[in-house]
Amino acid sequence: MGGADVSERKITLRVNGRTHEVSLPGHRTLLEALRDLGHTDVKNGCEKGDCGACTVLLNGRAVNSCLVLAWQADGATIVTNSGLGTADDPHPIQTAFADAGAVQCGFCTPGLVLSAKALLDANPNPTEAEIREAISGNLCRCTGYSQIVEAVRLAAVRSLKGSGEASHRGQSATDGSHSPSGSRVTGEVQ
Amino acid sequence: MTLPKFDLLQPSTLGEALEILSTTQNAQPIAGGTALLVEMRGRKAEPGVLVDLGRLGDLHGVAPAANELVIGATTTIAELLKNPHVTERASILRDACSTFASPLVRNRATIGGNVAQGSPAGDMAPALLVLDASIELRSVRGKRLVRAVDFWKGPRKTTRKSDEMVVSIRIPLSQTPWLSSWKKLGLRKADAISVASAAVRLSLTADGKCEGARVAVGAVAPTPLRLAKSENALVGKPISREAIAQAAAAAAASSVPINDVRASVDYRRRVVEVLVRRALMEAAWEVLT
Amino acid sequence: MTDPVTPKTLPPHHLPPLKQIGKPLRRVDALGKAVGATQYAADFTMPGMLHAKVLRSPIASGKIVRLDVARARALSGVACVLTGADLPDAKLGTDMPGQSGRAARTGSDAPVLATDVVRFHGEPIALVAAETLEIAEAALQLIDLQLEPTPGVFCPEQGLMPGAPNVFGTDNAVASYKIRKGDVEKGMAQADLVIENTFFVPFVEHAYLEPEAGVAWVDEQGTITIRVCTQVIEHFRTVAKALGVPQNKVRVMGTMVGGGFGGKEDVTVEIFLALLARATRRPVKLVYTREESFLATSKRHPFKITHKTGVKRTGRITAAEITMLADSGAYPYLTPYVLLYATGMAAGPYKIDNVKIDSVAAATNQPFTSAFRGFGGPQAAFAYESQMDEVAKALLMDPLELRRVNYLKTGDTTVTGQAIRSAAWSEECATRALAALGEKTPDTPDRKVGRGFASYFQSYGRIMWFHDTSRAWVGMELDGTVIVRCGVPDIGAGQSNSLCQIAAEVLGVPLERVSIYSTDSALTPLAGTSTATRQLYMSGNAVLQAAGVVRASLVKKAAEMLGVSPEDVDLADGEASVVRSPGSGAARASSSPSGLGGGMPLADVAARCASSGLPLAHLAQFNAPFTEGLDPETGRGDIWPDFTFGAQAVEVAVDTETGEVEILKSAACHDVGRAINPAAARGQIAGGSHQGLGYALMEEYVVKDGMTQTPSLSEYLIPTAVDFPSTEAILLESGTGVGPFGAKGIGEPSLTPAAPAVANAIADALGVRIFSLPLTREKVLAAADAGKNVVKPDRHW
Repeated sequence: MGGADVSERKITLRVNGRTHEVSLPGHRTLLEALRDLGHTDVKNGCEKGDCGACTVLLNGRAVNSCLVLAWQADGATIVTNSGLGTADDPHPIQTAFADAGAVQCGFCTPGLVLSAKALLDANPNPTEAEIREAISGNLCRCTGYSQIVEAVRLAAVRSLKGSGEASHRGQSATDGSHSPSGSRVTGEVQ
Repeated sequence: MTLPKFDLLQPSTLGEALEILSTTQNAQPIAGGTALLVEMRGRKAEPGVLVDLGRLGDLHGVAPAANELVIGATTTIAELLKNPHVTERASILRDACSTFASPLVRNRATIGGNVAQGSPAGDMAPALLVLDASIELRSVRGKRLVRAVDFWKGPRKTTRKSDEMVVSIRIPLSQTPWLSSWKKLGLRKADAISVASAAVRLSLTADGKCEGARVAVGAVAPTPLRLAKSENALVGKPISREAIAQAAAAAAASSVPINDVRASVDYRRRVVEVLVRRALMEAAWEVLT
Repeated sequence: MTDPVTPKTLPPHHLPPLKQIGKPLRRVDALGKAVGATQYAADFTMPGMLHAKVLRSPIASGKIVRLDVARARALSGVACVLTGADLPDAKLGTDMPGQSGRAARTGSDAPVLATDVVRFHGEPIALVAAETLEIAEAALQLIDLQLEPTPGVFCPEQGLMPGAPNVFGTDNAVASYKIRKGDVEKGMAQADLVIENTFFVPFVEHAYLEPEAGVAWVDEQGTITIRVCTQVIEHFRTVAKALGVPQNKVRVMGTMVGGGFGGKEDVTVEIFLALLARATRRPVKLVYTREESFLATSKRHPFKITHKTGVKRTGRITAAEITMLADSGAYPYLTPYVLLYATGMAAGPYKIDNVKIDSVAAATNQPFTSAFRGFGGPQAAFAYESQMDEVAKALLMDPLELRRVNYLKTGDTTVTGQAIRSAAWSEECATRALAALGEKTPDTPDRKVGRGFASYFQSYGRIMWFHDTSRAWVGMELDGTVIVRCGVPDIGAGQSNSLCQIAAEVLGVPLERVSIYSTDSALTPLAGTSTATRQLYMSGNAVLQAAGVVRASLVKKAAEMLGVSPEDVDLADGEASVVRSPGSGAARASSSPSGLGGGMPLADVAARCASSGLPLAHLAQFNAPFTEGLDPETGRGDIWPDFTFGAQAVEVAVDTETGEVEILKSAACHDVGRAINPAAARGQIAGGSHQGLGYALMEEYVVKDGMTQTPSLSEYLIPTAVDFPSTEAILLESGTGVGPFGAKGIGEPSLTPAAPAVANAIADALGVRIFSLPLTREKVLAAADAGKNVVKPDRHW
């Protein structure tokens, strides 16, 4: 309470390539600021950094936006899931999530896609263990993570094939026989 | 709940930040915020002023010197995990970083924040204790270096005065190679608070004599503990399963854990012995086999 | 292997090889969610919208001695404060939303806002709507609430003892059932061995990622409109009743639901929003915090279950005597039905001639318990499958062999005398799940490896005396695209997609040409609840019927246009074409005007249907079989339309020094009847299994004297991506289910066998059983201590 004595300040948030100037008090989180700007793909699941639903890339690093004060992101480059692609022009990771059956209720999905993006940017050919580790801050209650892990492998394999590199680590996600979990990858179906 | 209101100050120099801390009531430094903001949202902490350390570039990064590693307080756990100097010269710190919370939290949480928060279960503390680290505190009154073993005073209590700030962690580098191991037990494999943890470092001669030992544990006492009794059970003797078992038993005997929703006193005391034994066995593995 | 069962009925249309059904197509909802375009309930805003908060009881049992909201009302920016005094008649009917017209049970209503007493930690007491969330939060702090603690009931056994305080009503027994089959005393007398054990399961939180949320407003016709994440849009009736308004003046617009699992089956934010929107005539938004979501909504029931099993040396079970005691919490909600499910499935998928089951649920001053994936089935299964392994151990018999002797088969009857009419492939499922584990991992000095499995049977479709119905509308547009309108709430399991895939199959169009409008109580035909693993069964059949009628129009017109008889026309790939039907001389047309396959575009056929007045749309209603309840004295009667059968097997490594349990391998095999979308079915199995493994090893919503001890996702831990390996999903398709194309249900069943499989694997590893969930490290360590000198029996798997 006693709110009137807390001053607002104008900050610059560069979100998905667009620059927003917003006036906010210092106790506003980046999550709140982004959702107020209409970036509702950034989900509020716990506000304590326990679930990862509010994941964004802050200067390229995947973080819980509920644990960043908006002022701390002043001038930073922020990417949300919808900044990666749209339904008309999806990012390959988003496509892989859709293809591999990695999406059930979808509430955790935007955050998971971004954790996957941060992983693949640093490590284009991750093993199953590396994928699991990279997404271990993003809770999913629907999938059991199986098809999410497959989706990240699928995105990696597609990208490596696209760039002419063969996949030698882990197991092929497209031969359909033995994906990381031992169950089939169901991509390339449309 | 939204966060309680506070004034957020974002100084651009350390001097400014220290000035604010020395002149402002109820001010608290914030870096990654991964612990503090959670406490504030739950109204377990309500500082009126937060001093953001994010713009103080000189508090950030790992500087290798000839005889010590100087880690800026705002260096994130993720940065430590990837830092080659940490991996080479203080690998146990790297190991502790790898079990720290989740990748998302590691990208924000800082070593200084984890140290200053003073949680008995903090994952940096046992590693820093066995590394003989010191914590550098600064205030407008000057600076002081506190040995890690003297830093933590109780749950969420440290020697830091309200006008002081943790500015760096200093890890002395030894010329002789040390063997180390880190064991953490949480209630799940990622993003879990330690139920018990153990860090050990050993200096062994070629024929297996223990010349130096450091044993520290977390989450089994009001503060992280360095365990002299466990170390004494090892130093000056040939390393052996018996000596290790004695050191581990001493760790359990030195523990004064609590009952909480995560684990009981008995369980914590019992597993800390296991963790210390396993850490020592792992560190000394090549000599023992 | 079990004899194959001939499908009861062929698919209603003599379709050539299926083109859409059985394909792992990308779900229609997947891409929108993957790119973050899908809007969830908390994402909607309205002009001039107010923000709401709820004042909740900080204690578990007490009298409200003072509730003064004057200061809150006076706070600048507060638009409205409501207490129970403002709405004396507002009750939350916690009976199932009425589709059947049956009267609600007496005594089952909770006050919308507590007035005189509070019965659980978190019970709502007052509502605030304000210009901002922060003002609403500040207003809560200004409400003067004084409570006088009163003695509470903190365990169901205490609640049933004479002299216990009454939580509500005249006694604390919320529901009870009796099942009597054969002669249990005689059966026990025939037994060579009688084995008795008692099992315990805890409170469990749904922990979906999306906390409850909604926005409500009063529209220009005076209709209270609530946009909300719910599994049950029929709660517009519950809201109307609570507010005392006509049912046609409340509209629920469901959103994509960010996980339900039963936790969004009861009313959550709807009535609060409706009250505040009506009072303020402004749009109002209410979003629960994670902590509030934990505190305010239902939990899975804790149970104490005792099994006394009589068995011959051959393994044949001669009698089962089972007692069940469930914690209903502070209000009944769906407890009577959950208890019925648990009771009806208490003996497991086994043919037992002499059965006596007594079950009771008691009210306590604890979190209220209600629906949670499995609806009493998982609790029952933990007990009956643990017990089966204990019986096997006592007989020195292989657990699979024991079950083989006793598995229910098609034609056998359940404990209530209901005949199993579909395939009952328990043995096949267990055998395959075990085989999928492969070679056994060896023990190491402080890691003992064990294997276990569990079979189960679980109903799909609602209790038949609810007289369940679903409606769906299917229409073809003039360009050959298809629209499905169906009130189905999509809670993430692919409910909408399955309906689209069925419509695509029947109408012969690719899936991407089908759109669905769903989950609006005013504009989409009511399809009933997304609960009870019923939507594929119920709405799938409704879509099948509706699409069949549209197909008939198209086929009739296409036959005319092609100059053949309707039997010779097929619809596929967006075209009508001529196929050779048995006994017909017609060949596939090769000279049609356009179209890839040489057929006629459905757009042309649709246009001709339209111009000649043939219907291109149809609203169909599917009725489940209706029965009239169980005999109250014997519990005899048919409860559910059908059952899913399956099994899960796991291999675990137990750290005998820390009690840590690592799942090394997990495989589940279920007869899904027909996998409409195998990728989605696998997703249900992998996800259900994972939730079940969490139930087994880490999840417990801890309540101490009525007070929540695990208030957030920091204390209530659910599995992360690194905790368990993927569960290999093995789909069997008997084609014998009562769903479309012979489908059974898999949403809830997928969770059920996981926990007992893990319990059995740990018992195998240690030689000592743990009788309560979760299988925490402390319990496992104690079992490891007790099992130090136990010699384990050899097993061939």
